[in-house]
Amino acid sequence: MMRALQVQGIPIWRNIVVIQWTMQVLSAVLVLTLVGLLFVNISSEINERQIPVGWSFLDREAQIPIGETVIDYDPSDTYLDAFIVAILNTIKASILGVILATALGVAIGIARLSPNWLISKLAMAYMEVFRNIPLLLQLLFWFLVMLSLPPVREGYELLGAFYLNNGGLHLPWASPASGFWPWLMVSIVGVAIAIVAARLLQSREAETGKPSYPIVVAFVIALVVMVVAFLVFTPLSFHTPEPMGRFGRLQGGAKISASFAALLLGLVVFTSAYIAETVRAGIQSVSTGQKDAARSLGLTPLQSMRTVVFPQALRVIIPPMISQYLNLTKNSSLAAAIGYPDIVSVATTLTQTAPAVSLIAMVMAAYLVMSLFYSAIGNIYNRFTEIKGQGA
Amino acid sequence: MPEPPRATVGVMGWLHQNLFKSWVDGTVTVVVAAVVLWSAYTLVVWIFGAADFTAVYSRFKLYFVGQYPVDELWRPQLSLLGISALAGMAWRRWRDSNRVGVTFAAGLVLITVVIALLPLQMGLLNRMMLLLNPVAVAGGYFAMVIPRVGADRLFAYSMIGVVVVSLFIIPGATWIPGLEAIDAQAIGGLMLNLWLAVIGIAGALPFGILLALGRRSRLPFVKMLCVAYIELIRGVPLITLLFMSRHILPLAFPGQFSINELYLGAITITLFSSAYVAEIVRGGMAAVPNGQTEAARALGLSTWQTTLTITLPQALRNIIPPMVSQFISLFKDTSLVFIIGMLDIIEMGKVTIQGNLEFTEHGREVYLFIGLVFWVLTYGMSWVSRIIERALGVGQR
Repeated sequence: MMRALQVQGIPIWRNIVVIQWTMQVLSAVLVLTLVGLLFVNISSEINERQIPVGWSFLDREAQIPIGETVIDYDPSDTYLDAFIVAILNTIKASILGVILATALGVAIGIARLSPNWLISKLAMAYMEVFRNIPLLLQLLFWFLVMLSLPPVREGYELLGAFYLNNGGLHLPWASPASGFWPWLMVSIVGVAIAIVAARLLQSREAETGKPSYPIVVAFVIALVVMVVAFLVFTPLSFHTPEPMGRFGRLQGGAKISASFAALLLGLVVFTSAYIAETVRAGIQSVSTGQKDAARSLGLTPLQSMRTVVFPQALRVIIPPMISQYLNLTKNSSLAAAIGYPDIVSVATTLTQTAPAVSLIAMVMAAYLVMSLFYSAIGNIYNRFTEIKGQGA
Repeated sequence: MPEPPRATVGVMGWLHQNLFKSWVDGTVTVVVAAVVLWSAYTLVVWIFGAADFTAVYSRFKLYFVGQYPVDELWRPQLSLLGISALAGMAWRRWRDSNRVGVTFAAGLVLITVVIALLPLQMGLLNRMMLLLNPVAVAGGYFAMVIPRVGADRLFAYSMIGVVVVSLFIIPGATWIPGLEAIDAQAIGGLMLNLWLAVIGIAGALPFGILLALGRRSRLPFVKMLCVAYIELIRGVPLITLLFMSRHILPLAFPGQFSINELYLGAITITLFSSAYVAEIVRGGMAAVPNGQTEAARALGLSTWQTTLTITLPQALRNIIPPMVSQFISLFKDTSLVFIIGMLDIIEMGKVTIQGNLEFTEHGREVYLFIGLVFWVLTYGMSWVSRIIERALGVGQR
């Protein structure tokens, strides 16, 4: 650095090294002063008003009820337990939301490109309507719709197994029985055999040129093994909801509460409109020459879509899709507005009896970890699919 | 004899090509059309039958301006007149190239005149000011006809003027004579959403550009700081930031520097959006070819001159579509200020439904109305963006 300062006799105020260091020091001083000032203000204010801080509250009894939980929870459990329950609720909503929104979004994105004018325009209308209305309003609307369903005794019923009323949706559910682990073991073995068979058939196809249907055969093997094992071991016990007692309270099966149903519906409809746009743009980004070439090789439109266009489109579709998944996860925090006990909603309740500053730090940390998780997935995907030889 | 080819032109040809290409296609069309028609019919029957929009039109004031003091209503109405004048100017300026101006002007005139003529509880002055909107549109239109005034410059200055005046006139402040400060809770309804959105856009654009430049900077400390800020903000939902600003920011401004919820919300939304704007700007800068920078440097421009006059303008032109969708998101996100206790149009709807027994059965009508209001505004924004994009020839150079 000393040499850079001395060369050529440049005046010190025009020397690039000096300028850069001055800028850095100046901005560091500015930012540190600002942060320090805020910190001093906040901590003096905390002392003055005797606002509680710290983490000692975490192993005290939370004493708040949580409406729905993935794991067992009781108001006598600790604050930490309550927070973990809330995180699991957010994760549950995110996973279900991601799966359903992807399915719906891909279907609508493809429908948007349909040669049928009516279907294409309908898909467009869906996208334009649900992307342009705030998610909060959609959630409130679906919640209102759920709550205005008839009460339990006059609720809708389908096949004696599905019940829909203002408390939510009750549906049949299966829980693992004694035969579950043996069944799982046998199934894993079956899948392994199927994969080996697929490899063998694939290499045979490559060598001899005769069609050997590796994928179809593998699927059939895996399916047959799983079904036969299922019939032998009966790994799951099914139970359906049934009305009980004078008030027709439904017992058994699984229950999707009204607020969870509204949250899921809102998140799925809102996000699928964005995913549909991503899918449409991705498919259209594949140059028409690819499609023409596939057709001239004699592939049917479906084959050309499946083996030529879609795999190339996927490269464009996946990265924005992952950021939509992250958005969905972050948007699930709006659950606070309709009473589903997600992270934000539970944390808000806990602030009444626990230090808000610590809780906010925990909430933010939870979301940051989730977004790191998504960006890790994105990075891994990018590493696997980057076009070799074109690297930056 | 082979059959003659089927028609591909005319009404029959269009129907064949687009709706009835094959038996499968035809069946799908008929079934889908039946479902659509049936849904539309049900909706129309509901709107003109069972639906009751009393909860909407008897509370117009709450939805549009919240609990703003009646005596001070001339202030938002003055802003509205300014917006009408702008619409009139846009109509005249782009009369031959697009219909944005005329559509906005017609919409504003229609809505204001209809509301002014409805039998609502409203002072004479307020009614008159609403009825002045068509005059404002005409005024804007003819202001653009004045010869020897640069039309674009006049429009730009008027727009900045209207925005700045509106931002100050609506909340008021103790230091502005004649404009007493309005209680933060009294600023609500659609006015609050628009106010926050305008502040958010005006603040997030410059701050986001600064962050993007910082992230591209060669100074390691500055770069690290910007990266940390952008990634931290983008990793958490806005709702948690609002939650934080409600609990922590008041502690940072002790004593006489107390800050009310309105500005708290505006600052939080601006800080949140600028991280997203920064990423969009960074993407746009990365897309500008290196040759541009090299040529500028070869001509002897300094780093700052290169950025400000060569790369940044090109980047900004290319990022109009993602930027507008970010601003649409920002506008939709303004409804989250319910977390800090503000009553925006959605929260106002919720409160109206939950607070009045006679409206509990008619909540759907209220949400439908609010959804329509949002949809018109956001769709309008994306329409304008498409037209700007076309005018600047993005993707054609």
